[in-house]
Amino acid sequence: MAVATIAAPFAAALNALQPDAAAPTFARDIAPILFARCVTCHNPGGPAPFSLLTYADARQRATLIATAARNRFMPPWKASRSSGPFVGQHPLSEDEIDRIARWAAAGAPEGDRKHLPQTPRLAEGWQLGKPDLIVSPAEPYTLRADGTDVFRIFVIPLPTRGSRLVRGVEFRPGNPRVVHHANLRLDRTETSRRYDADDPEPGYDGLIAHSAAFPEGHFLGWTPGQVAPLLPKGLSWLLDEGTDLVVELHMRPSGKTEAVRPSIGFYFGDDLPERMPVMLRLGRQSIDIPPGEASYSITDSFVLPVEVEVLAVQPHSHQRARHVTGIATLPDGTTRRLIEIDDWDFRWQHVYRFVSPLTLPRDTTLSLRYTFDNSAGNPRNPILPPRRVVWGQRSADEMGDLWIQLLARSALDRATLVDRIRPKVLAEDVIGFERMIASEPDDVALRNDAAQVYLELGRPAEAVAHFAAAARLHPEAAPGHFNLGTALAVAGRTDEAVDQFRLALRLDPRYGRAYNNLGGILLQRGRADEALHHLREAVRLDRTNVQAHINLADAYAALGQFDLAVRAVEAALRLDPREPASSALRARLSAYRQRQPLTR
Amino acid sequence: MLIQRISIALIAACVMNAPLGAASQLRLPNLRGELVDPLARPASAKAVVVVFLSVACPISNRYAPELRRLHDHFSPRGVVFRLVYPNPAESTEAIRRHLSEYGYRGLALKDPRHELVALVGATVTPEAAVYDANGRLVYRGRIDDLYVHIGLQRPKATSPDLERTLATVLAGGAVQPGTTPAVGCFIADFLR
Repeated sequence: MAVATIAAPFAAALNALQPDAAAPTFARDIAPILFARCVTCHNPGGPAPFSLLTYADARQRATLIATAARNRFMPPWKASRSSGPFVGQHPLSEDEIDRIARWAAAGAPEGDRKHLPQTPRLAEGWQLGKPDLIVSPAEPYTLRADGTDVFRIFVIPLPTRGSRLVRGVEFRPGNPRVVHHANLRLDRTETSRRYDADDPEPGYDGLIAHSAAFPEGHFLGWTPGQVAPLLPKGLSWLLDEGTDLVVELHMRPSGKTEAVRPSIGFYFGDDLPERMPVMLRLGRQSIDIPPGEASYSITDSFVLPVEVEVLAVQPHSHQRARHVTGIATLPDGTTRRLIEIDDWDFRWQHVYRFVSPLTLPRDTTLSLRYTFDNSAGNPRNPILPPRRVVWGQRSADEMGDLWIQLLARSALDRATLVDRIRPKVLAEDVIGFERMIASEPDDVALRNDAAQVYLELGRPAEAVAHFAAAARLHPEAAPGHFNLGTALAVAGRTDEAVDQFRLALRLDPRYGRAYNNLGGILLQRGRADEALHHLREAVRLDRTNVQAHINLADAYAALGQFDLAVRAVEAALRLDPREPASSALRARLSAYRQRQPLTR
Repeated sequence: MLIQRISIALIAACVMNAPLGAASQLRLPNLRGELVDPLARPASAKAVVVVFLSVACPISNRYAPELRRLHDHFSPRGVVFRLVYPNPAESTEAIRRHLSEYGYRGLALKDPRHELVALVGATVTPEAAVYDANGRLVYRGRIDDLYVHIGLQRPKATSPDLERTLATVLAGGAVQPGTTPAVGCFIADFLR
């Protein structure tokens, strides 16, 4: 390989034994390219392993620069020029690549310094300005010297008081040479914190918790040389008190041990968001690639029910993907490219933000295609000889997703969009859940998560199956039986539901919600006096359970005790005066005050 | 520039047929400035490994742990390691710091005029060469096949070429002189 690369400049040099006056020179032809496209990373102290700010830097690496440009290894972002334009993306043209090659072949001449453009001034410190809050992991992490890629997750409690509106997040790697990129998430539960505490070293090794997510509608993350801009006016997002920041670092060992301690800056604002973007995920969790298959494709699509602006896209896959294409086909048949990647590299993933948002009319079809290579001929294949590969979050598995950030024109349009997106995404999620459960059938949390999604999809039979498995795995846990009972009730299997609720109550006689659900079923069956006993317990144990007060009211009404029915409805209304629930409550109030049953 | 490229090609053609037992005529400075024959070795040595390195080459630096491992395994078994720095812009002080930071083990030499580079036919850093007990060049090329080309790495190396060559030499097996393509920072650029 190295021999071949020497041959090309060798041949060129043979034809020109004296300096070629027409050859590109550093000052006139190469520096402008480096200054415009490269030095944001290739500067002293930057994330690149060497600087390219001066002639001395560049000429010592002339062949390396030419080779990296020719391979399109550099600039590292993989979105091809047929997509975009994207913020911060400046792929080289064929002409520029050629110019660099000819310069290296001619001996990397400096040329006349008067042609040299001004060296760009590189911003120091926080690029978005002074942050309102800066956080860091409690301790630095020691990255080992060997290996190719290390992933580690750090959890940082955020010390904010009350809710804050966030306009931007800037990530500084601390050690830019080894931190390759960072995935950022927010966890409002204690889950991520517990995973971190369970691991004695700083951070933990594993998967990002399900509870750690993007703020609704927004991307968070960091890639070298690219700073996510502050959000435009009207698009801030709410950060709740008690949220943890979850930082997954992708690091590349340098050959010696390194200390890593990033810092993250938050920029707050006062203006309430006027609009909230929506995330659409195209992709398949049914990926199943036979060993040796060199060209395996998945496709997915979605028809927009409303007009939108596309703000940004983020493709995500692992190591075997080769091509990614995202296309919008408008109703008039014209197309817009959302993303095109010809040479997927999992190390260079990025959120591609459109310089100008793409406006797409209602009924546009968004479609995605991924092609994977699981053959022995793919040097990127992490498992050789190749094995069957399925969807999963571990690096041995594959994924093929395209996240698309959409902005609807109005709150109503947004609601329509969400109502259409949610079942589509959940239906794909359950495929992934089944895949994960197949490899870890005793993971109760997976079973519970899957069952919840099935319930939301209106598929209670499958929810029942998973809740039943979870209850078999932990028969002593009352909530497991409660969940199973609830799903059975939704599925119309009320006798079995009643059995499960009774079992839950035997295990935990103070389980208020189980009393409520049991009472609700009995009430439905016309056994109001039996229901009353359970519902009174439900309300006593769990005073804030609105549904329990409503059920209690209905039970009293069924028994002709309308005064008590009215009191129960009033209690419910005090707990939750919001629409649309309160209209139904007021209907009850009115009926029961007149000592009438509620007519449905 | 051109002359150097021609010399590389010619000398590389000769070197595979070097006579038995010859140490080299070269004298390269060590870090104290003393001139040393890079291929001289104690009579008991079974092989000499030359590795071309650069202070600021990220590809070569990532190999530091692997080179240390190879040194620790093979040095007690009679293999002598020479770390050769062909970039004249790299000062003695920078090289000392480099050796210490990355934990390299072996004798460090500078090759500012690319004399050993030319003898071996090396083109990039890192690149390795193995001379057997008779002073015959039996291998030149990559440490392993982790890198396919600039910008493309395998998840794991599948062909540990340098290690395999050393093991074969030590086992007394007949080694067919061979080369493999190496990927790294270009040595020829260092003289620009």
